[in-house]
Amino acid sequence: MAAQPKPLPVHQPSYLEGGGIVGWLTTIDHKRVAVMYLASALFFMAFGGIEAMAIRVQLWGPDNHALSAATYNAFFTMHGTTMIFLVVMPLLLGFLGNFLIPLQIGARDVAFPRLNALSFWLALIAGILLHLGWIRGGLPDAGWFGYANLTERYFTPGLAIDWWVIGLLVSGTSTVLTGLNFLTTIIAMRAPGMTYMRMPMFIWSLLVTSILILIAFPALTIGLIFLLFDRFFDTHFYIASAGATPILWQHLFWLFGHPEVYIMALPAFGIISEVVPTFSRKPLFGYPMMAYSICLIAFLSYGVWGHHMFATGMGPVADSAFAITSMLIAIPTGVKIFSWIATVWGGSLRMTTAFYFALGMVLEFTIGGLSGIMHASAPVDLQQTDSYFVVAHFHYVLFGGAMFAILSAFYYWWPKISGRMLGERIGKWHFWLTIVGFNLTFFPMHFLGMWGMPRRTYTYAADMGWTHLNRLETVGAFILGFAFLLFYINIFKSLISGERAPADPWDGRSLEWSTPSPPPAYNFATIPQIRGRDAWWILKYGRAGSRGVAAYMSGQAPSPPPSEPVSVEHIHMPAPSIFPLVLSLGVGMMGLGLIIDWYRIVIMGALVVVLSVIGMGFEYPDYGQESHDPEHAPSSGGIDVRKIGVWSFIGSECVFFASLISTFIVYKARSVSGPGPEILNIPLTSLSTFILLMSSLLMVLALAATQRGDKRWERIWLGGTVLFGLIFLCGQAYEFTSFVHEGMGLTTNLFSQSFFVLVGFHGAHVAIGVIWLSVLLVAAITGNLGKSRATSVELAGLYWHFVDVVWIIIFTLVYLMQAVPGA
Amino acid sequence: MSDIADAHAGQVRHPGAATYIIIAAFLVVLTAMEITVFYVHALRPVLVPVLIVLAAAKFALVAMFYMHLKYDGWLLTGVFVFPLMVATVLMVSLILLFTYLSHHLAPIG
Repeated sequence: MAAQPKPLPVHQPSYLEGGGIVGWLTTIDHKRVAVMYLASALFFMAFGGIEAMAIRVQLWGPDNHALSAATYNAFFTMHGTTMIFLVVMPLLLGFLGNFLIPLQIGARDVAFPRLNALSFWLALIAGILLHLGWIRGGLPDAGWFGYANLTERYFTPGLAIDWWVIGLLVSGTSTVLTGLNFLTTIIAMRAPGMTYMRMPMFIWSLLVTSILILIAFPALTIGLIFLLFDRFFDTHFYIASAGATPILWQHLFWLFGHPEVYIMALPAFGIISEVVPTFSRKPLFGYPMMAYSICLIAFLSYGVWGHHMFATGMGPVADSAFAITSMLIAIPTGVKIFSWIATVWGGSLRMTTAFYFALGMVLEFTIGGLSGIMHASAPVDLQQTDSYFVVAHFHYVLFGGAMFAILSAFYYWWPKISGRMLGERIGKWHFWLTIVGFNLTFFPMHFLGMWGMPRRTYTYAADMGWTHLNRLETVGAFILGFAFLLFYINIFKSLISGERAPADPWDGRSLEWSTPSPPPAYNFATIPQIRGRDAWWILKYGRAGSRGVAAYMSGQAPSPPPSEPVSVEHIHMPAPSIFPLVLSLGVGMMGLGLIIDWYRIVIMGALVVVLSVIGMGFEYPDYGQESHDPEHAPSSGGIDVRKIGVWSFIGSECVFFASLISTFIVYKARSVSGPGPEILNIPLTSLSTFILLMSSLLMVLALAATQRGDKRWERIWLGGTVLFGLIFLCGQAYEFTSFVHEGMGLTTNLFSQSFFVLVGFHGAHVAIGVIWLSVLLVAAITGNLGKSRATSVELAGLYWHFVDVVWIIIFTLVYLMQAVPGA
Repeated sequence: MSDIADAHAGQVRHPGAATYIIIAAFLVVLTAMEITVFYVHALRPVLVPVLIVLAAAKFALVAMFYMHLKYDGWLLTGVFVFPLMVATVLMVSLILLFTYLSHHLAPIG
């Protein structure tokens, strides 16, 4: 039933209308979720901005004490944490990604709308947890990178780092869920005809960013889990006196941290690749190379984390490898810069504020990229590391790159989002003040860094010669702050009295401009048929793009062929749900209770989480198919979107367990006392392995029975799988108990803690699988499963088999290789 | 029970019980080989490569047949295999980096 967009009936309520406050709290509409991300990010951006200006006030003059040293530490920590996790990522992914992905690919929502709402509420809870230190325990103060062992309780007692650890764990969970959702949506829900090479470049960037999120965040999660265990359960993952090495944190953190830079940069590249062609009235130059460049940047970004660690002494081979990959990444990045320039070249330019910010991004990001290439050289980096030169570099990348792109996107898509235009005059003021303020603030940092001013320094002596440039930077910071004040005023004025936006105010090229401003809840009355890149441009002007431009410039722009208004009554949109909000509150209660040592709150929170998950499971009779749209011919080749989601999750879990297993292998022989691998019970574990393998057989037999509608054997095999899973867990409980009786507890030594955490996490996965399968068993016994819901069994089976294959690896590397030194 | 069971109308077909049982038999044999290799001291010099090959074979059998990657097409295989490769490279890199570190830094404690 695919067709090109047709005019809607006279008035269709926009997604912003109706529902009241309850409607917003229970919404799962991707556009409303996006707006909530925007509101929370703008709120936190004000916090982060004020912290930045306070930092600059402190550095105004030598021997200054405007802030205490402790407050200064807290402010630069919270500024970095806030801007990265609560502002830039939520704006790029939560706000722009959420709003635009379905609209640009011709879908009515994301693949998992409730998961999407859950991501937002978790992100908000994470932001609140990160800021609760204002009320109790103090703000985190160990830097946004939280280097071990500064973050250990011995060196940083109190609650400050606890807020940071729990807040980032919740934030990371939210981001992984978003990545999983976006990846599935882009793979499976593109409109008919939208092949990969016809996707808007912003979608390309989010596709690759989602993959990066899934493989980068687990490393941070593991690093934070170790830190959480150190702080709450007295383990020693980062304590050198126990034989551990704080360098482990740096590896885990930067394994996440450098891809994270591209998680923020790639969507920014995507935005510029949308804005520049529109205002140049030309197609994007070198589309295929732009797409391949994004893929190559993402691929290389996972192999460059070591350039943050040249100073730790990784050895000449590792240094050379990381130097080469870091230099290589400049090539695809350069391709993008030249493609944007070539797109602008010879174009018929319209100098709007959005275009100003896009051009500003190309300029400022290029400066940041050039200083980045310097860091790729280990000897040069050793001079620059931990100096203000680095602060200059990453602000040119993250502010000059990501934030300029966000501001460009804001001016470009705000009419679509709000239905009103932003003021162009005030926008231009905003741009010029931002350019001036930004460069005054950050360009002198290059010189200060080369002159030896260390980053994170509280103050400096008068005879260092750093005073004048620091004063210039502070003036720049306040100009920048004023620019953002104008930005907030512009938004406010637009909402109150802004000019009404037409559907296509910029003569856009992608599908979102085919919808009203703001769009209706269902986005498209009929799913569009895509006939090429720049789908909306082709629908407007046909394939002869140049003729379209000529017609536009002569004021005779053709409009899409007229057709009859279509009915929208048949469109089924998923119902709102309160469970994402409630579940997130449960998570927040657990985090809060853990930090303030009030375990009743933890238990209550856990109960809320469990009940919410069960509630979500039974909320829709179609078992999660709330986004199923029979009109939408999926681009997944007939594969159920839930299956793609589960596989994406499993892919992410590979990195999660790889981080745990690597830590075990690195640490197992570094214990300074206590028992080692010889304590492991091979006969018992061999039996457990056999049982788990056989449970996998029973699982596939259950699936086969379900698929052929054999209810009796479906119950028998599912029951058998649950039973074998329980036997495995009992074996693990017996093993753990016997170790404790033999004197090996969680905190005994490095071997014990890395063993218990690795095998314990696997056991937790088995337990979740047993619960999942038990729910299916109950459904089978009560006659609610059956052939039509075979996919539900298949999804649980995929998870179960993954748990099985992880155990295959653990059994080999942890148990059977116990006697091999270094293996 | 037919060896090939219908999954869903319009979707790929998965193998039936007979195939699953044959795979289970292979898994049991491979696990028995792993345990045997562990207890045979003469094989200690080649323990690591032999165990890795056996574990990889078991892993592949479960992923291909029980998780149906052999039947479900390239898309799901890609979604799984790419992060799996990244995870493997991560493990090898970390182990090598820390091996270097432990050989070039004085032990602490």
